Amino acid sequence: MAQITMIEAITMAHAWELEHDPSVVLLGEDIGINGGVFRATAGLQQRFGSERVQDTPLAEGMIAGMCVGMAAQGLKPVAEIQFMGFIYPAIDQIVNHMSRMRNRTRGRMSCPVVIRTPHGGGIRSPEHHSESVEALFAHIPGIRVVCPSTPARAYGLLLAAIRDPDPVLFLEPVRIYRYAKQEVANDGRALPLDVCFLLREGTDVTIVTWGAMTVETLKAATQLAAEGISAEVIDLATISPIDSEAILESVARTGRLVIVHEAARNCGVGAEIAAIVAEQGLYDLQAPIQRVTGYDTVMPYFKLEHDYLPSVARIVDAVHATFVD
Amino acid sequence: MTTFPLPDLGEGLPDAEIVTWHVKEGDAVKVDQLMVSVETAKAIVEVPSPYEGIITKLHAAAGDVVGTGEPLVDFQLTGASAASAAPTAVQVESHAPQSGTVVGMMPVTGEIIEEHSLLRRTRHAVGDQVRAVPAARALARRLNVDLAQVSGSGKDGVITLDDVLAAAPLESPRRKVASAVEATVLGNRRHDDGAELLHGPRRAMAQSMSRSRDEIATCTVFDDADVHAWPEGTDITVRLIRSIAAAVKEEPGLNARFDPSGPSRILFDHIHLAVAVDSPEGLIVPVIRDIDKKSGAELRASVDHLRKSVRERSVAPEEMRGYTFTLSNFGTLAGRYATPLVVPPAVAILGTGRLQRDVVPTETGIEAHRRIPLSLTFDHRCITGGEACRFLAALIRDLGKSA
Repeated sequence: MAQITMIEAITMAHAWELEHDPSVVLLGEDIGINGGVFRATAGLQQRFGSERVQDTPLAEGMIAGMCVGMAAQGLKPVAEIQFMGFIYPAIDQIVNHMSRMRNRTRGRMSCPVVIRTPHGGGIRSPEHHSESVEALFAHIPGIRVVCPSTPARAYGLLLAAIRDPDPVLFLEPVRIYRYAKQEVANDGRALPLDVCFLLREGTDVTIVTWGAMTVETLKAATQLAAEGISAEVIDLATISPIDSEAILESVARTGRLVIVHEAARNCGVGAEIAAIVAEQGLYDLQAPIQRVTGYDTVMPYFKLEHDYLPSVARIVDAVHATFVD
Repeated sequence: MTTFPLPDLGEGLPDAEIVTWHVKEGDAVKVDQLMVSVETAKAIVEVPSPYEGIITKLHAAAGDVVGTGEPLVDFQLTGASAASAAPTAVQVESHAPQSGTVVGMMPVTGEIIEEHSLLRRTRHAVGDQVRAVPAARALARRLNVDLAQVSGSGKDGVITLDDVLAAAPLESPRRKVASAVEATVLGNRRHDDGAELLHGPRRAMAQSMSRSRDEIATCTVFDDADVHAWPEGTDITVRLIRSIAAAVKEEPGLNARFDPSGPSRILFDHIHLAVAVDSPEGLIVPVIRDIDKKSGAELRASVDHLRKSVRERSVAPEEMRGYTFTLSNFGTLAGRYATPLVVPPAVAILGTGRLQRDVVPTETGIEAHRRIPLSLTFDHRCITGGEACRFLAALIRDLGKSA
């Protein structure tokens, strides 16, 4: 079993599905001959041919529209939008067609599309290349939003996403594409969608996060442990629909909640989680809910990038703020 | 000497043409300082210096084409760059032709992830976490009330503002605060007639007995346990506790919690016995846990610890919560039978009166036997008379044994 990065795990999952499911087709800009700008699809066109792994023109609306048509005809398209910041032209197809196909056809058809896209910043890239707008899509009924945080979960969740008969937006945290390696068995086993993953058990505070922020959150938890605060860290993994039961169960035991996300604060997914816990877990809370988020500005360029992204210190401060007494 | 190669400028472009150098050999440069402008097939890209150091060699001139990954600039590292040149530092992944990153730097560590994540754990029962309305928590902090000692009268036992006010200790400085709060929050509930305001256990008792009166469908059955078979020096309290464990085994319905809103009940698989103890402060009811799992000696030790804690006023809040059955051994004072009250959500309580010799007729004549009067109160909403009497019968049978 090899130790691989998240990017390699994603390639491995693609290869498994291409091999075992003849209806799976990949499409996107530079994914074929080049293997993708992050090498997520490296070697796949060479192995499976240009009809299964297709290079498209630079046209995100067209990519998404092709997916709708392909899915309607029985294929399972897995499209790459090169950066989340380029997804906006595709929103028409995603919202008006992909997310509604099952509803519109009264269940006779579904839309088994996966749209993968690099998510978030922290790699000093230019404007539009560091977006994290999962909240836009979490708001749309009929589409799932998934975000892995380790190579193993990237492999398992991507397999699950491709096999799911409904559309999935698969957000890949670009900052941790190659950050660390992990043993991942290429056994075709999918992980379940719609559930949280418990990364660290704790008793004093629940911290919910996803994607690249799991790295900083776990570092913060280690720092807090040295101070005597036991933090429970939950990886949301499926951002929509939210596994609220797992979060409520954890808050019932710890009494404190901190939500960490890179995306901007206003109407971010953290707000929805906070509302759910306020509705259903209010009496378990010993302090107000804290959110640690990006700022409500355009994502800055690389000199200020690390001021924008939630840091370990900001997460630790937020946990301290829940100990008001 | 460190060589910086031309990084992969994005989308796998194979090379770039030098347009303008912004530094020359011999210059001292800082990290991120603009070094060179290069033209790719897509655009003119500016490459910043990755290091702090002195430029020792430029490998190409303006107008030259340099391949991705080929040497571009040599540095003599100084300052922070020299210090962090150790292999454990985060590397800039910018030199392998197949690295696939756009302009910028993707962090790479040598870390291997050890997977410790769990897939959603099953819900277990909420422990001793206190559930309180947020306003009640804030008030409790102001009035210095320990929420763990407050019994909640809200839905599902949630602690409300009223509960906190009722529990607030009223030594003289705080009496003013509490009174002031009551005046503002509750309007006209103050008493100005010189009556003694109750606090602590007395206040709690007034509250919990009011709830008992309001909610429980009280029914009490009386009987006597004949204990003349007991040898000298038998530990009465321990035998009483043991008999309760034996009776619960036969009729678990009395070791339960009842929720009228279902209506529903939970039969507990553990027996945590609350023991009513009289103290100068009032009625205190600490809990002995898992009485069915303790030996006679362990039970005696628990009872002694309990009495000591009450005397020393050191009963911890956790020691009063989570009980499933109650014993009120008032017989050490006076009284034979009683109608003890059940405090919801519990469903039963055993009152034991004074052990004394009674004249009893037997088949062979008149004898004087030691007997203990028993008064079993149960909540008739969820316990039948049959269950209660069978429970009582099991109690009497176990108490009747010599050991």
